[in-house]
Amino acid sequence: MFKKILIANRGEIAVRVIKACREMGISTVAVYSDVDRKSLHVQMADEAVPIGPAPAIESYLNMDRIIAAARATGAEAIHPGYGFLAENSDFARRLEKEKIVFIGPNSTALELVGDKVRARQTMEKAGVPIIPGMNSIPKDISEYEVAAKKLGYPVMIKASAGGGGKGMRIVCSEQELRPGLEAGRREAKSAFGDESVYLEKYIEEPRHVEFQVLADNYGNTVHLFERECSIQRRHQKIVEESPSQALDPALRAKMGETAKKVVRAAGYNNAGTVEFLLDKNKNFFFLEVNARLQVEHPVTEFCTGVDLVRQQIRIAAGEKLSFSQKDLEQRGHALECRIYAEDATKNFLPSSGKILFLKEPKGPGVRHDCGVYSGWEVPIYYDPILAKLIVWAEDRDAACDRMLAALNDYAILGISTSISFLKDVVNHPEFRAGRTNTGFIKNHFENWGEKEKSEDKLRLALAAAAFDSINSGPSGKKVVGGTQKATVSPWQTLGHWRLGEGR
Amino acid sequence: MEFEFLVDKELRKIVLEKKEGGYCIAYGENQVTADIQSISPHVLSLMIDGRSYLVYIARDKEKKYIFIDGQQFIVQEPGRETKSFHAGEEKAQEGKLLITAPMPGKVIKIHVVEQQEVRKNQTLAIVEAMKMENDIKSSVEGFVKKIFVSVGELVDSEKPLIELETKK
Repeated sequence: MFKKILIANRGEIAVRVIKACREMGISTVAVYSDVDRKSLHVQMADEAVPIGPAPAIESYLNMDRIIAAARATGAEAIHPGYGFLAENSDFARRLEKEKIVFIGPNSTALELVGDKVRARQTMEKAGVPIIPGMNSIPKDISEYEVAAKKLGYPVMIKASAGGGGKGMRIVCSEQELRPGLEAGRREAKSAFGDESVYLEKYIEEPRHVEFQVLADNYGNTVHLFERECSIQRRHQKIVEESPSQALDPALRAKMGETAKKVVRAAGYNNAGTVEFLLDKNKNFFFLEVNARLQVEHPVTEFCTGVDLVRQQIRIAAGEKLSFSQKDLEQRGHALECRIYAEDATKNFLPSSGKILFLKEPKGPGVRHDCGVYSGWEVPIYYDPILAKLIVWAEDRDAACDRMLAALNDYAILGISTSISFLKDVVNHPEFRAGRTNTGFIKNHFENWGEKEKSEDKLRLALAAAAFDSINSGPSGKKVVGGTQKATVSPWQTLGHWRLGEGR
Repeated sequence: MEFEFLVDKELRKIVLEKKEGGYCIAYGENQVTADIQSISPHVLSLMIDGRSYLVYIARDKEKKYIFIDGQQFIVQEPGRETKSFHAGEEKAQEGKLLITAPMPGKVIKIHVVEQQEVRKNQTLAIVEAMKMENDIKSSVEGFVKKIFVSVGELVDSEKPLIELETKK
């Protein structure tokens, strides 16, 4: 087993990996950009190495600096988390050369599945159902126009190196194609350093169902059932759950076996996720392999009892899977809400600023994977995910109730977050009924606004504000807050006395 | 003492008087007695009729962020609210319109030039924040009067980006 691991990431996922390492008796090395000196992952790791300026391209995406940090600290392996270099096959290959273990798939498989276009070709050959679309990246923009016409609008622009909704655009008409391609390319370039985009037929209102897989270095492959991630905004998941309401045991088994087939066809090892779209008629199509630990991995951990980060590290260290498919079962129901720094009333615009106060929800079956703390400033440079709230309960209804209670018990003061929006999502009758698809937010939450607040709570809030104005200040000093008006004004009691009226 | 606060742009009045056994809270028609205890710098307990309400509170300049049982209130002192318009909105004045940055970020594209005619909903510029591109659109039909920023520039929230003149 490794003695020391470097985590080439930040935020909640770096914290998650550090925790797993601690439990396994492995020392950790954090890396950080200039604006992340005070970030939680830096405080938690055994060692921390600065790797450059705030823009990711000069720090968290800078392979030279990260490899130098691993060398300098003697880390034997690097965990890439998700995003940044997690699915960069050049990085994996360089580490292989440097004899540093990449905690993820081998570089050949990573290159294959990371190239969404080649992955489509391979899967089609292996007999896996794929979405109709382009099977190569064209050189000329006119080729996109031809392909889009052939597929029929609406079409989807996707980044070949993509993930997390970056570079993704729905295009409904020919006029939108060119600007969509330009924006998609720029986003892809800045997120992945690769501007290749391609087109796929847009499947209307599908469910997003993905299967977690684990494969060791000896050909043993298991799937850990599905997660449904249909609740998305800006093509990015915000609520995930397991099991999916759309699968019955037969379909689950069939999709699970297909997921394993995908893994084998790609020569894939370590943890990964095989994403499918499930259409209204329960046809499923291979979407892509996410060759990394997923944001929503805790949902699977709750339902299967398997610690996926620990498994990743064990597999990377050359250990065999200690269980087989028949040892795995799904228990109960898990839900995850992603907590973003964003304003749901302003088209989910990212918000930044200082978290003045954080109160984490707690309780049985509640897990809070968190990368922030009271007093921390949210930088503008990175993905605005702050934390994830995950709950588990015996069944879906109980899990929804538990999630609502936990969200009610969750305060992040000082910046806009998605918490109250998420409450309304989980409480929505269509969500409660399990009728979800990727159009859910658009269909039910266009122009969402926060509900009318309760007068009772407002009264308490005002009383608290008044009390606070009287009693507290930065150092316990009395500060004047609110507009205080003495109820008995001296001007009222002085009788006939007027300013400037000397007698 | 009577206090005035702004909550969601509405002025609210509340009276808080210290008396034996706690505070008398008068709000509108209602009057209750509460024992208020400070539990920590960010937490208050208001005991009213045998029930403790936990209130979380954080302060930032003229604002207080208050959280009670799943609801958040931003309570401001009147008269001290920010004079500037809200981020991302426009300030219309005599046919002129100032388009501001909706959040801190980086200008990655400017689609228009000065004097150019623009349609309603036309994308004027793109500001990137947290790896997402955000289209800055024109809310009116008119002309580009002035461009205050250039591509690559880092902008703060509420920074003026473009001034438009509306079509008469």
